[in-house]
Amino acid sequence: MRKYFTDQLIPTVYALMALAFLYTPIIVLMVMGFNESRYNTLPFSFSLEWYSALAKNEVLINAAINSFVLALITALICVVLATMFVLGMKTLSRSMEGLFRSLIMMPMSIPWLILALSMLLFIRFLDLDKNMFFVVAGHVVISLPYAMLSLQARIQALDPALEEMSASLGASALSTFRRITVPALAPAIVAGGFLAFMISFDNFAISYFLIPAGTSTLPIEIQSSIKFGFTPEINAISTVIIGVSLLCLAIVGLIMGSSIENMIGGKKK
Amino acid sequence: MKKKKKLLTFPSIIVLTVFAILPLIIMLVYSFQSDSGSSGVTLENYTNFFLKSVYLKLTYRTIINSLAVTIISLIISYPLAYFMAKKFKGLKNIVMILILIPFFTNQLVRVYSWLIFLQDGGVLNSFLQSVGLIEGSLGILFTQGAVVIGLVHAFFPYMVITIYLALERVDNSLLEASSSLGASKVRTFFQVVLPLSMPGVVTGIMIVFVPCLGTFVEPRILGGVNGTVIGTVIEDQFFEIYGWNFGAAIAFVLFAMVIISMTGLSRIGRRYDNE
Repeated sequence: MRKYFTDQLIPTVYALMALAFLYTPIIVLMVMGFNESRYNTLPFSFSLEWYSALAKNEVLINAAINSFVLALITALICVVLATMFVLGMKTLSRSMEGLFRSLIMMPMSIPWLILALSMLLFIRFLDLDKNMFFVVAGHVVISLPYAMLSLQARIQALDPALEEMSASLGASALSTFRRITVPALAPAIVAGGFLAFMISFDNFAISYFLIPAGTSTLPIEIQSSIKFGFTPEINAISTVIIGVSLLCLAIVGLIMGSSIENMIGGKKK
Repeated sequence: MKKKKKLLTFPSIIVLTVFAILPLIIMLVYSFQSDSGSSGVTLENYTNFFLKSVYLKLTYRTIINSLAVTIISLIISYPLAYFMAKKFKGLKNIVMILILIPFFTNQLVRVYSWLIFLQDGGVLNSFLQSVGLIEGSLGILFTQGAVVIGLVHAFFPYMVITIYLALERVDNSLLEASSSLGASKVRTFFQVVLPLSMPGVVTGIMIVFVPCLGTFVEPRILGGVNGTVIGTVIEDQFFEIYGWNFGAAIAFVLFAMVIISMTGLSRIGRRYDNE
């Protein structure tokens, strides 16, 4: 009986409490998106009013499209950069490899506020106007470490003998790359791209400081609505974002479950 | 061939150098220039910061807030990670997935969700009123408390993962050995499990404390006028006051705090790793 308490009941209740803390506000937000009240208050009466308002809200929809395109471009650049890096990484000397890797991982540990400001000052130093080029550059800098994590985990698990075998069987360097290396890395490329996409899509700090006037992304729109008065349309768009993210996460998870697990270290030995 | 392959690493390095290192250097240069327009190198931004009690108080508050977030996160995360690693069997993966999912929800969406949840007259308010715990309004939004809640919510899942990974590596046979040698469960925990999981705890502290120092979104939205911290002061310098050079200097003070806490913590972490 006592063992049941310490091994089952207490841990389960504790986990449920932690999960309740994690999910309650998000669930409330979703539910209130279907509530008639303009101020996100009870009582609850079902209404699709905010969703139909959202469908007509061009500002929010454009911002969402901007965020999507920005994240897509960022993810593509990050995946290309990260793949090239991990392929070349093995030829570097040990100390060089360490130095390069810590340089690439650096944006994970510096507050993005600082990176955003320094880029803003950089633009001013160059005497340029804010432009999308620097927004993309900033997004690449902060998303690259995540794409890199995914690819590094995979390439370390890749058996170099495979490439050697392919070469010794007479395959050209190009066809070894195309037939062996790329397929072996593919799951990590997709997972890394997905991570980079999410980091960029979510990012507020970099976009907020660097985006040219007149353009906006979804996080920026949400922030300015919070500042200048919001309606549950924000709940509606949030619910849509969460839904789409979960769908993507589920798809990516199903296809490359194991490589995501490798990445967070679950199976590292 | 080898030379050519080495070239593949360069694009990433060039991007980081041009768009991260170079801007930081330029920011450092700006921080030694005056906002009043006079040219030449000056320390006035830094002396302004360190001699005005307002800024020292804000620095202190930023550190205290980040510590509070870290400690509360630790209290939530350690038991949860322990239960996941040592008690749950089938449940483990489900809990892990549920902990990971919020990583993929937008930061601003989460802040916004706390804003409407905690607001006076909001859902939590109505709930507490109906069960008779409070009368009138909740009054928690726009306080430091609300900021801490929002930040714990944003960061504690990272800590659960780092601690879980460390605990997972603790060999169960060690626990059996300890108990068969007569140690109580409590003693086994404090003398075997806890020390072995310390690298994960230290990484977890780093992954929560350091980003907390630089937040400005949660303090601004959930703390309102009471939420001022270093991050929001820096934001104001750039968006409201246009004291860019002073802003650059404060950003470097923040940067220094980040570097100091990271080196300190990783030194502590290494000590546990060697044991």
